[in-house]
Amino acid sequence: MTTSTGEAFRSIEETVRATHGRPGPAYWIGLAIAGSVAAFGAWSYSLIVRTGLHWTGLERPGMWGNLITDFVFWVGIAHSGTLISAILFLFRARFRTAVYRIAEMMTVFAVLTAGLYPILHLGRPWFAHWLFPYPNQRGLWPNFRSPLIWDVFAVSTYLIVSTVFLLVGVAPDAAALRARATGWRRRLYGVLAFGWKGTDEQWRHYTRAYLFFAAFATPLVVSVHSVVSWDFAVSILPGWHSTLFPPYFVAGAILSGVAMVITILIPVRRAFRLETLIELRHIDMLARLVILTGLIVTYSYATEILLALQGPAGDPERSTFLYRMTGPYAFVFWTMVACNCVGPALLLWNRVRRSTPLLMGICIAVNVGMWLERFNIVVSSLSHDRLPFDWRIYVPTWVEWAMTVGAFGWFFTLFMIGMKILPPVSIAELKEEAAHASHEGAAHAG
Amino acid sequence: MPGERGVLGTFGDPGAAARAVRALRAAGLRVDAAMPAPFPELVEALGKHRSRLGLVTFPGAVTGLCLGVLLTVGTSLAWRLVTGGKPIVSVPPFVIVIFELTVLVGSLTNLVAVVVGGARGAKRQAAVAAAEAVGDRIAVFAAGDPAAAARLLREGGAEEVRDVP
Repeated sequence: MTTSTGEAFRSIEETVRATHGRPGPAYWIGLAIAGSVAAFGAWSYSLIVRTGLHWTGLERPGMWGNLITDFVFWVGIAHSGTLISAILFLFRARFRTAVYRIAEMMTVFAVLTAGLYPILHLGRPWFAHWLFPYPNQRGLWPNFRSPLIWDVFAVSTYLIVSTVFLLVGVAPDAAALRARATGWRRRLYGVLAFGWKGTDEQWRHYTRAYLFFAAFATPLVVSVHSVVSWDFAVSILPGWHSTLFPPYFVAGAILSGVAMVITILIPVRRAFRLETLIELRHIDMLARLVILTGLIVTYSYATEILLALQGPAGDPERSTFLYRMTGPYAFVFWTMVACNCVGPALLLWNRVRRSTPLLMGICIAVNVGMWLERFNIVVSSLSHDRLPFDWRIYVPTWVEWAMTVGAFGWFFTLFMIGMKILPPVSIAELKEEAAHASHEGAAHAG
Repeated sequence: MPGERGVLGTFGDPGAAARAVRALRAAGLRVDAAMPAPFPELVEALGKHRSRLGLVTFPGAVTGLCLGVLLTVGTSLAWRLVTGGKPIVSVPPFVIVIFELTVLVGSLTNLVAVVVGGARGAKRQAAVAAAEAVGDRIAVFAAGDPAAAARLLREGGAEEVRDVP
């Protein structure tokens, strides 16, 4: 043995254990800010519950606004976790090891955020259970032809499967952390370990099960945002009724999700002293994913616009796209293009990609751009439908903005609590990598 | 097996553990191991067959598929209400619900299978499971001739060798 292998194992565990240490003032300040923002969003929402939807800017024909934009945005953010943990696992991309746990945590918390917003959007949220599949008093079941029912199935399934995927991955790590934990943390890790002892038979079942989870999650991740895109695409509204939507939404979701992972990883690796485990090369690989998905999104924008502009004068589709580019929402459109097309393209330069502040800035810009993209799709089409006498501009009210910002507060509150409870990297997989590296080192030395 | 007598050796290096496992198996001893990560060389040296978890997960996914068909087609036929001028059994939209339920029930069955299979595995391999090799050590348990097992474990580089129970 090699002491270096054992030392590497201990060092990985110690680094992870240190992230669960007593939080410093910065952590509490961050948590207080995130919690306050979430609480303000919740209070703003209570105004709608108490006195009605007049607090929103929703008015015919624009009955979908910020809250549906938030739903689509957060479902998109949730995509990167499964992409990184499942799809990159199937492709044997080893760089995922250091970053996938944080991405998975982000996925679960983002789906928890996304799932709230269609309910908050309802005028009478206390009837949200009507969407679930059970017969009503007259023996009628929900209409399974409705995209809203597809959403219920897709988002619920995604939440359950990504939570299971996260918890199954945590089990061996929880067993490792339990050994030296005390009090409630020891009891919690005991539960999360699912009786894990690390025997070869357990590993045989575990590795097989993990493969199956990845195989289930891969088509699921593609299906969820496709289903969300069909909320729009199955309607006949100009700007929505497009067969391009599913791949366009999935690519956009992965772009925003990976950008959010980078946005979170950069401060987290420094604040929780994870630099030895999450290296800059891992972030560089994620930045390359941003370039790839940014190019797909750019191609989708170009296809959508060019096809629409080929229509004859007076064609509703052409009219809607001209309205998006030159109308009152032109600022949203062009900011979206700058953030989602130009931003990722800048990462083609190594110097930009390897500069942490620039990378962080571009990833934040991509997130802003992706929120605006969802706003652009949801709002501008409804404001400019097939009936010119019906056209009306939707402007979100401060209550809706508070709820939009509140989503970030809710998400970061959950994430910061999660960081103090769950291991932010996969201890077991990093040990496997460390053993592999040690052997390679010994082979080279030999 | 629970209560089985044998010798337990602990290793710090997966490569050394894998070599010892090969030697023990070559000597005709039955070997179990516990490790903090699925080190490929050790898993290969143990030479055990692949998990048959798929035999549980696959029927689980098929059950989800059948539930999806039952829910969408069954409830539509139970009350034949035309909506949007579409057929009573509208296959393309129903496929979405059926797919989601296939994945959901398949995943949950997979979860139950890995938890139950793992618990049974830990019980069957109680001697090596008791070593709690989840941190920085690899435990190798050899059942059979204790003297030969202890010698082979020491020769293989075990840091600690002891009789079990």
